Amino acid sequence: MIPFEYSMGLSAVLFGLGVVGVLVRRNVIVLLMCVELMLNAVNLAFVTVADHLNSVEGLLYVFFVMTVAAAEAAVGLAIVVCLYRARRAVHADEISLLKG
Amino acid sequence: MTFSMADMRLLTPHLVITAAALLVLLAEAVSPGRRKGYLPYLGIAGIVVAAFTTPGLFGPARSGFSGMLAGDAFAAFVYFILYAVGALTLLVSDAYLRDEGRDHAEYYALVLLALVGMMLMAGATHLMSVFLALETMSIAIYALAGFFRDERSAEASFKYFILGAFSSGFLLYGIALLYGACGTTEIQGILDAFASNRALAGSPMALAGVGLVTVGFAFKVAAVPFHMWTPDAYQGAPTSVTAFMATGVKAAAFAAVLRVFFVAFQTLHVDWSGVLWVLALLTMTLGNLTAIAQTDVKRMLAYSSIAHAGYILVGVVAGTPEAGAGILYYLLAYAFMNIGAFACLIMVGRKGHENTELDAFAGLGFKFPALGLAMSLFMFSMAGIPPTAGFIGKFLIFKAAVHQGYYWLTIFGVLNSAASVYYYLRVIVTMYFKPEPDTPVVEGLRAGPSMALATILAGLGVLYFGIVPGGLVDLAEQALRYLV
Amino acid sequence: MSHFPYLSTITFLPLLGALVLLLIPRKSEGGIRAWTLAVTAITFVISLALWVRFDPAQGGMQFVERKAWIESLGISYYVGIDGISLWLVLLTTFLSVICVLSSWGITKQVKEYMLFFLLLETGMLGALISLDLVLFYIFWEAMLIPMYFLIGVWGGTDRIYAAIKFFIYTMVGSLLMLVAILALYYLNIRAGNAPTFDLLKLYELNLAPNVQFWMFAAFCLAFAIKVPMWPLHTWLPDAHTQAPTAGSVILAGVLLKMGTYGFLRFAMPLFPNAVEAWAPFMMVVAVIGIIYGALVAMVQDDVKKLVAYSSVSHLGFVMLGLFALNMQGVQGGLYQSLNHGISTGALFLLVGVIYERRHTRAIADFGGLAKAMPNYAVVFLIITMSSIGLPGLNGFVGEFLIMLGAFLTSKTAAVFAATGVILAAGYMLWMVKRVFFGPLDKEENQGLADLTGLEWGYLIPMVVMAFWMGIYPGTFLRKTDATLELWLERFEAKKEACRSLESPGALAWLQDGLNLVFPGSHAD
Repeated sequence: MIPFEYSMGLSAVLFGLGVVGVLVRRNVIVLLMCVELMLNAVNLAFVTVADHLNSVEGLLYVFFVMTVAAAEAAVGLAIVVCLYRARRAVHADEISLLKG
Repeated sequence: MTFSMADMRLLTPHLVITAAALLVLLAEAVSPGRRKGYLPYLGIAGIVVAAFTTPGLFGPARSGFSGMLAGDAFAAFVYFILYAVGALTLLVSDAYLRDEGRDHAEYYALVLLALVGMMLMAGATHLMSVFLALETMSIAIYALAGFFRDERSAEASFKYFILGAFSSGFLLYGIALLYGACGTTEIQGILDAFASNRALAGSPMALAGVGLVTVGFAFKVAAVPFHMWTPDAYQGAPTSVTAFMATGVKAAAFAAVLRVFFVAFQTLHVDWSGVLWVLALLTMTLGNLTAIAQTDVKRMLAYSSIAHAGYILVGVVAGTPEAGAGILYYLLAYAFMNIGAFACLIMVGRKGHENTELDAFAGLGFKFPALGLAMSLFMFSMAGIPPTAGFIGKFLIFKAAVHQGYYWLTIFGVLNSAASVYYYLRVIVTMYFKPEPDTPVVEGLRAGPSMALATILAGLGVLYFGIVPGGLVDLAEQALRYLV
Repeated sequence: MSHFPYLSTITFLPLLGALVLLLIPRKSEGGIRAWTLAVTAITFVISLALWVRFDPAQGGMQFVERKAWIESLGISYYVGIDGISLWLVLLTTFLSVICVLSSWGITKQVKEYMLFFLLLETGMLGALISLDLVLFYIFWEAMLIPMYFLIGVWGGTDRIYAAIKFFIYTMVGSLLMLVAILALYYLNIRAGNAPTFDLLKLYELNLAPNVQFWMFAAFCLAFAIKVPMWPLHTWLPDAHTQAPTAGSVILAGVLLKMGTYGFLRFAMPLFPNAVEAWAPFMMVVAVIGIIYGALVAMVQDDVKKLVAYSSVSHLGFVMLGLFALNMQGVQGGLYQSLNHGISTGALFLLVGVIYERRHTRAIADFGGLAKAMPNYAVVFLIITMSSIGLPGLNGFVGEFLIMLGAFLTSKTAAVFAATGVILAAGYMLWMVKRVFFGPLDKEENQGLADLTGLEWGYLIPMVVMAFWMGIYPGTFLRKTDATLELWLERFEAKKEACRSLESPGALAWLQDGLNLVFPGSHAD
């Protein structure tokens, strides 16, 4: 049995990695992956808490999150493809037509 | 988990609009000779039907689907704001999309589906349903923002997407932590948990949860410092979508904020009000200061929408039903004035050229008197000058803040409001006080009957709710009475 | 008491006229002008009924109308006038007619011009008759919009800068006043009263002196900007010089009076102890304004700017009178407000006359005009005399009363203010000398036509008023006596009542400032 704190800690670390990744990485595909990492960290947290509370609800939420993540990824990749066609760039720094 | 017909009753308006969205898609497929001018009106018809089926405007609070969705006066009030937003957006989009050659059924269907997401967000009484509603709304809007598929539109869509997905992550992690701390994600349940267990408020997990939820919402309402890329997204998206994002998303997000902060985190007011105090101040000030520096009206309106989020946050900080009623009023007023302003922006553009630079407006006030009048009205309303709805909205929010003793925040708010006058007036200055250049930028207006109707409706709304606000204020207060 | 709703009629008649104006085709400029003139003239005639029917024996509000507006917040459409507002209302309707006449020569966008003009009249009258703080605030702000357009579209070369400066200055002040209004509203509720923005009810609210201190500061800022008092006057010369003639007349004649009126109607009776505390400071600032305005006026080379700075000086007198806090001073201040509307308004009209002919206002461009335009010179001289307070003309009465009042309160202030009178004579007469006398040596000035029928038409009433108010001030003062007596009586009574109120420590408000994040127990 893995202690509650351990798995919560792991999920926090994963989440942090995702956040830092979004903030520092510049390749848009990697950005998408980092967002996915954040959502999966959340899933881990939900599972851990559900286990801790002996409740099934948290396990259900994981399915919601997975579905939403899939939908998000689908739309997100479509947007990236569209963007690539328009600009031939997958680097966030090059996507700077709109600046004030 | 079972649900009854009574539950379905709460969901009727959402179902009606979803059906309208599907019908719009289907109608395009079966329309002979590719005639599709009627599609937006099909959508509007759906919204009107939904308005008639909206329950709970005056009744006591009800909740359904095992505490996932409310059918209370609060939700109903926000639904009506959203109906106005949706109908005006569709009206504004019609001529615009046709002119740009993008009048596809998918656009109208996506607007309607995003609207359903917004409505669910306003009605959600469970953090998971808040999240699902948020995603329903956001995913549709990502697609809408990129609908023109040119460089700018795609960039806007991408930036909005990354920002949205990023913020959803924060919100969701916050929800997971609150679930861990409180053992439930129901909004009422969280309130009970915090109320019954004083020690809980001090637990790191609960506080981190509240903090992350706050960050998530701060992204959604574009509060400083979580506003980066919002202006880019607003500027690059099709103008009708920008109007929709600025008003609809804001209304839905603040509705959820009200439920979460006024109900679930009610007992923690001392903890979060300080953080939001700073956020509100930063949001107002930075939004206004950067708006002053803009030379593009569309981008200026984007920054100004950040500033408006700041004023609304002042109401959230105050944290009383009175403030909540003010926020609802403000959201409605903002919907009318902002969509109206964006409609005027669309009108000065032509296919492929948006003409949103400030200079393009030179001399337009006398050249197109109706446009000048409408745009001036919307600008004065956004600046909060009576007798417009924008003034009453600010009045109600600042009133609530003063009531709670937030004198300094109110003073900063009104000073910001005075600063914002500068850039709103600049549009009017350009329209009326500057002569038209020798080679006119705007030769004709992109105005059809639907655009005219939308602008007139928005203008009448701004004036009506500015001059006779009484009934609406009462309704808003009633809406909050059942919430808190 | 049911009677004909005079006040609503005169206030909303111009608005109605403006709506009808929208229907008149843009091309028929004559029709637009005639219609506007008719509307303002009818408004003026109806407002004369106020004068006739006003009961001078009664100090309270008359012609009261009341209708619930936003009931749940205690906001109502509540209007009425007393001796303070009666003359200002009449001055407004009177000057509006004059201004429409003086704007006959406007050819640029006549329709919009007249439209904004009528809206402005509604705004001004509304602000003068409101007895509900929110109603007042709405008119007060709404009045800015038409004035802003009048300066911005029909003004001089720097009109945009002047218009924005005018707007933002006024906005900052009035928004802070809004915060104070809201605070007052809640203090009233906390004192156990029903929620209301009713001014007369709020008069009865007794507040601790230190609370009054800050509330007064906020109101004072808004009104002092409008007056404008030194050092908040910098928007005025810009606005005046850039505004079209009628805009300047209204600005000087009515808009500035809104500031002094605001002090009399709102700031002073609501917060008497604060007034007492601030009075020495205000008197000093007023005296500085008098002397500063006069000195700066002296060095101007533009006639209109000179008149604008003389306004700063004159309004300093008005403020000095108000803060002398005795019958003579307050009455003098009120009377001088009216005088200033007549004489400075007329000066602006006269400057407009010459500007239309020569398209310059630089003093150096003139000289010896008395030879080319004798009638004009005579009228100008009469108005100049009225402005510098020559006995027999209106300015004398007001200045005399103010000096008397100021002398009773502070001899030093009176002495310094007296130098302002001398300086005023200096800069006005020096200007008159340079413009009208000496050799008529500029070629452009030799063929100048004298006053036209139209110009006589709007100048004669001003001259008549200047004499009437100077020779027989009783007509005007009589109607204000009862009101001002009641005003002072209430002022003193409330001051005494509040003095004993326990104040929660001198630093309480500072603590409130520090407690901003966690508003503590004092919020009910």
